[in-house]
Amino acid sequence: MRIIVAGGGTIGLQAAQRLSADGHEVTIIELSAARALRLRQLGLRTVRGDAAVLPALEAAGALRAEVLAACTGTDEENLLISFVSKRHFAIGRVVALVNNAENAWLFDESWGVDAALSPTAALLSLIEQEPSP
Amino acid sequence: MQVVIMGCGRTGSALASRLEAEGDRVTLLDPDESAQNRLPAGFKGRFIHGSGSSRLLLEEAGIVHAEAFVALSPSDSANIVATRTARDFYRVPRVLSRLHDPARAPIYTELGITTVGSVQTNVNRVHHLLHHRGLEPELTFGNGETMLVRSFVPDYLGGRRVAELNVPGEIQVVEISRAGRSSVPERTSMLQPDDFVSFIVASGSLGRLRSFLDATWH
Repeated sequence: MRIIVAGGGTIGLQAAQRLSADGHEVTIIELSAARALRLRQLGLRTVRGDAAVLPALEAAGALRAEVLAACTGTDEENLLISFVSKRHFAIGRVVALVNNAENAWLFDESWGVDAALSPTAALLSLIEQEPSP
Repeated sequence: MQVVIMGCGRTGSALASRLEAEGDRVTLLDPDESAQNRLPAGFKGRFIHGSGSSRLLLEEAGIVHAEAFVALSPSDSANIVATRTARDFYRVPRVLSRLHDPARAPIYTELGITTVGSVQTNVNRVHHLLHHRGLEPELTFGNGETMLVRSFVPDYLGGRRVAELNVPGEIQVVEISRAGRSSVPERTSMLQPDDFVSFIVASGSLGRLRSFLDATWH
């Protein structure tokens, strides 16, 4: 699959590495020049730019991509990236990271988000599922 | 009017104190607690310490009954998300957002959100002041992309028709004042020297309009 990962932080980087190793065609969009350089040194295809505007998404192959993962560290950025990816590029599956669990309610189809994941909510549900000893 | 303002910086605090002085009920939200020090002594509006993306705080700020929402935080993305949430989720009838990065303007346009204070507005204004001293806009529209300017018709344009001055997408004659009477011209209306004419003009075409009106300039 052709996959775009927006945001090359811990989660974005690990997702990109794993997906590349599985044979997918992955491109990361990263705003920070220093971080973009490091990603390239790790052998990952990287576009440096703002993933919420058209040029960076286009350079990353958004016209042909099948999946986009918005994993920046800012929820509002993830919403805008999802919105533009869906509205302008009609990317089939748009998934997003919810950094602050309080913002989870915003992540819906009105922003182009097909599925969102909140690590905090996931962690909490694991804790709550744990049977008491 | 009940107004919620996200961001208590220079603009947010000044706007809040003015609205409050005029009798509007104002609530400000800012994640920086010390931001409320920007508000004048005796300010009767409310200040809520916290982010405008929090549903809980927005509701505490009275977003459900607000008649206007203004996003003035330093983050474009926070402003867009909060503004759209206010309009589409909470049905706030009037929403405005500050725009910092012109590259993001298309997102606002697409969402139908009116923006203020963009870099582009300032660039257009400064450019205008530097280059078009003779043609001061009476009104500007949007973020300064188009404006209304008025000018006397020079002698050498007497006898020309309105259609000869119109340039599709750039310049449009919208009104002619002659001998104390104003009228909306037709394409075939004839210009007379000393007519006072109103034009709608794209900011990038002011130079072209000026060259029409002042042939000696070039």
